[in-house]
Amino acid sequence: MSSLPSLHGRRGTLAGVLTLVVGLRAHAGPPAPPLSRVAATSVPSPTDAPTDPPTELQVGQSPSATAAPAAEPDLGPILPASIPVTLDIPSIGVHTTNLVPLNVGADGVLPPPTDYATAGYYTGGPTPGQLGAAVIAAHVDGKSGPAVFYRLGELAPGALVHVTRQDGTVATFTIDTIARYPKAQFPTQLVYGSATSRAEIRLITCGGAYDRSTGHYVDNVIAFGHLDP
Amino acid sequence: MRTSLKLASAAIGAAALLPLGVTTAMAADGSGNANLAPVALNGVNGSGTAMVTVKGDVVSVTLAAKGLLADQPHAAHIHFGADARHECPAAADDTNKDGHLTTTEGGPAYGPVVVSLTKTGDTSPSSALAVDRFDTAPGGNLSYQRGDITVAPEVATAILAGQAVVVIHGVDYNGDGKYDGTAMSDLDPKLPAEATDPALCGVLKAAPVGAMATGGGGAAAQPEQGLLLAGGALLLAGLGTGAYVVRRARTQA
Repeated sequence: MSSLPSLHGRRGTLAGVLTLVVGLRAHAGPPAPPLSRVAATSVPSPTDAPTDPPTELQVGQSPSATAAPAAEPDLGPILPASIPVTLDIPSIGVHTTNLVPLNVGADGVLPPPTDYATAGYYTGGPTPGQLGAAVIAAHVDGKSGPAVFYRLGELAPGALVHVTRQDGTVATFTIDTIARYPKAQFPTQLVYGSATSRAEIRLITCGGAYDRSTGHYVDNVIAFGHLDP
Repeated sequence: MRTSLKLASAAIGAAALLPLGVTTAMAADGSGNANLAPVALNGVNGSGTAMVTVKGDVVSVTLAAKGLLADQPHAAHIHFGADARHECPAAADDTNKDGHLTTTEGGPAYGPVVVSLTKTGDTSPSSALAVDRFDTAPGGNLSYQRGDITVAPEVATAILAGQAVVVIHGVDYNGDGKYDGTAMSDLDPKLPAEATDPALCGVLKAAPVGAMATGGGGAAAQPEQGLLLAGGALLLAGLGTGAYVVRRARTQA
């Protein structure tokens, strides 16, 4: 311990202690957005475009006096189905290729990619650009250092996410929100079920404190975005 | 040394929390989501979503779809059959080899109609072809929401078990903007096949359970407080200023 301070008064001790503190702070872990509270009634709904009120039908001989033509629901842009191949998020330095399929296991849980250096997509959802919420997940770190989504927590609203698809098209999404949720309160409905009226994306990784006794982070960091025209 | 006490109790707390597992699916209530994709062979360039929330034997349904034939009624249903494959039909289901899939040809995949997703009135299978009560997809976009649809208990169970299928019907093979053509419907000989052949299809599935384990810990924050305590103890032994060290550590943390 070469930084042990000598006894030269409080000022010297303080300097030594600060050196020690800084020295021990190898790093503070991955960036973490503020923790969201998932109360049953106060779940933020950052992503879903307002659901159009069901246009009351005036098909055929509806006796309704309001004979205006049915309004076209605004569902935003969409793309045909095509599986994602490459993910680019320039603002946080993500460029990852060969995305892998993620299938729900017999236990109902969506496993992460087995390879820390690879991102994966949820096969049970829409492909990126189709109507609904496409889900892409990757590790924040591996056993020995940062992984694909290490900087996901740094993402800011307005950041662009580019997904190159198997058909060669690139789906570009704009991030709307980024939030951190305790895993015990994972916002399942917000992630998988809330995008009923436009094409959206969810990017998922881990965050918060790392619990060494379980070998898991205690939170998930989730970015929500929508498809650009 | 309040800090060390706090740390100790935090550790005990974490250990006590360990057995907390992932919540399992509810027995009777829940929801299923479907990703609606073009039906094989039928040439629709669109996609859609369906969300069905189940409370006992009452379901509420939200549908959205793009790329449908505009301004024409699109029959939409929940299909389920105990003997069906619980999936969307594939090209191999085109048993008459005419290059298109009819609703009947899709039967082995998704089973019969169990709920008619009409906008008003009856929602039973007997409304399966009530063309004046289905959404007309203005501009090709369909947006539908209806609650309080009562279903048979086995249908509610099937929805939560990933065995029910949402199908939106109505295609435009010849691209002339309306339902016509010489081929007539397998369901109602007075209707063109275009009016009833399946357009978009998706299996209702419960969302994945719980959170994702997306970290190995290799870049996690260092356990600085524990190390600082060790450092503090060292300083305490050597310098007798341990309390000060811990106080600094707490303001740094």
